[in-house]
Amino acid sequence: MTLLKIEDLNKSFKALHILKDVNIEIKKGERHVIIGPNGAGKTTLFNCIYGTLPLSSGKVYLAGDRIDHIPSFKRTEKGMGRTFQKNNLFEELTVEENVRLAIMGKKKYRLNMIKPMQNYTDLAAECRRLLEEWEMIDRRAVLVKELSYGEQRLLEIILSLSTNPEIILLDEPTSGMSPTETSRFVKLIKKIPESITLVIIEHDMEVVFSLANKITVLHHGTAMMTASPEEIRGNQMIQEIYFGGGALSHD
Amino acid sequence: MKKAFLSTGLLLITILILPLFISPFLVYLSTEILVFAIFAMSLGLIMGFGGMPSLGHCALFGLGAYTVAILSEYTANIYLLLGAAILISLCFSIVTGYIAIRNKGVFFLMITLAFTQVLFLITSRMKFWGGNDGYSASVTANFGFGEITSNMGLFYMMGFFFVLSYFLLKLFVNAPAGKVLKGMMENEGRMIALGYNPKTYKMIAYLIAGSMAGLAGGLYIYKTQFVSPALFSVHMGAEVMIMVFIGGLGTVFGPALGAGAFVFLQNYISTMTDRWPLILGLLFIAIVLLKRGGILHLIQFVTTFGLKLFKPSRSRNAPVDKQVKGKEQAS
Ligand SMILES: Nc1ncnc2c1ncn2[C@@H]1O[C@H](COP(=O)(O)OP(=O)(O)O)[C@@H](O)[C@H]1O
Ligand SMILES: [Mg+2]
Repeated sequence: MTLLKIEDLNKSFKALHILKDVNIEIKKGERHVIIGPNGAGKTTLFNCIYGTLPLSSGKVYLAGDRIDHIPSFKRTEKGMGRTFQKNNLFEELTVEENVRLAIMGKKKYRLNMIKPMQNYTDLAAECRRLLEEWEMIDRRAVLVKELSYGEQRLLEIILSLSTNPEIILLDEPTSGMSPTETSRFVKLIKKIPESITLVIIEHDMEVVFSLANKITVLHHGTAMMTASPEEIRGNQMIQEIYFGGGALSHD
Repeated sequence: MKKAFLSTGLLLITILILPLFISPFLVYLSTEILVFAIFAMSLGLIMGFGGMPSLGHCALFGLGAYTVAILSEYTANIYLLLGAAILISLCFSIVTGYIAIRNKGVFFLMITLAFTQVLFLITSRMKFWGGNDGYSASVTANFGFGEITSNMGLFYMMGFFFVLSYFLLKLFVNAPAGKVLKGMMENEGRMIALGYNPKTYKMIAYLIAGSMAGLAGGLYIYKTQFVSPALFSVHMGAEVMIMVFIGGLGTVFGPALGAGAFVFLQNYISTMTDRWPLILGLLFIAIVLLKRGGILHLIQFVTTFGLKLFKPSRSRNAPVDKQVKGKEQAS
């Protein structure tokens, strides 16, 4: 079943035509990795899918419903989560407070103006479960700004998972992580159930091939090809463009 | 919740016993301080927790004041008068807030100022209600327990509303809606990605702040018996902003301290020297340079620093009396 469908998507910044007639279909449960050199328009594509940026033209469907005209927070309500390429967290709050704020986004009582937030026991319990699952429970009382960069990247993902998404857009989740952190990250990502669809922008080829079951190559704003990892590996042109020249390695 | 009750209780006790320790003139002055404290705390909510620096918050205060002054011709019922003051300010907040919260930073500042300027122009042309010269009202507070005419009575009346406002704000900032508001100020993009609608929370805060400023304005008349378009001046809007700043941005109680310091200094220093604006200016510059820190932050800093000197081993567990001053830390 197609969960996310991007149809003839175009995006321009004034005269700059960044995304050109992009068509991608993402099936439920897929681990869909988007690769492409810097400046190809990958982050812009995510911003368009999520509604952070308006489209110039085209359509975006989530589970059959058009979503390209609704505000971003409503896309979250409809089951779309995202992480940001640059860490985008509440730095002055603790890990636990960050996660609670994230979980509360789908609670009815988020508009309550009297009862202290810390008194909601369901919030505390869900927060604990999530942090245990992601092996961050020991760090729960630490201020986010004091976390290592890799831990912050992980928290990005935990926050996006807190909203109970059906699909998550992960923008370069491993960028800036140490090799150890990266392998720990891959291990944790593999534990995410198939009920949650993942769309991942990734530069590290090892990570790409250990996670992906579909790969889209974005080049100069065009979705050149969507195929299985094996086909991508076997494709002569892709090999030359990316693997030969090493253009995929992040600067 | 416990913390809010505790700090409110202490504040209440302080207000109750304060007149025993200060001169009659200070009691009189404190009446004004308490009114401005409510006003400043309400601005502190949208500025310090919502990131909405309103230069036109005085519009709500002024509207509350004009409402009570004008309606007092027809009724002396204080519940009706204050209720009307809150209602009118709330209505004005709904209209202006709807437009203002779509803007950020300087644009928010300018839009709120523009609304206030409109009221300034209208009230200065309203010949029937005094125009530029202002309008005198003769109001006496009576909550059903007899008329409040003494300075002491007024002090307790304002004190009651001050403690009530403090308590409500304290509940709000620790409740989900308040935490979301603060999160929105710190990182709006992330909050949207978490499924929160920024406008909802900003609007809620704007309406609470507006109604509270209206209440403060309504109370103000019981002390001054006089309103004038000056309530809608840029000067007034800036003064209350300065109170928030010097008291402590991002805290509930800080702006109240700021109001206290401001009114106190204004009244005392201005009797000693006419350079009062200069002294206020220097104080303001010092605090802005210290970044975000107001009097409350200074007190917190001094107490934690002092505690470290005395109890190097357990500096994090401040005893209760120190926590009173540091009580805003949690919010
Ligand atoms: N807000 C913007 N305004 C103008 N140009 C932009 C904006 N955002 C991105 N771009 C441009 O769009 C191109 C693609 O950027 P991006 O989507 O971040 O690439 P990628 O994530 O693939 O590295 C870049 O050339 C970038 O400079
Ligand atoms: Mg990018």
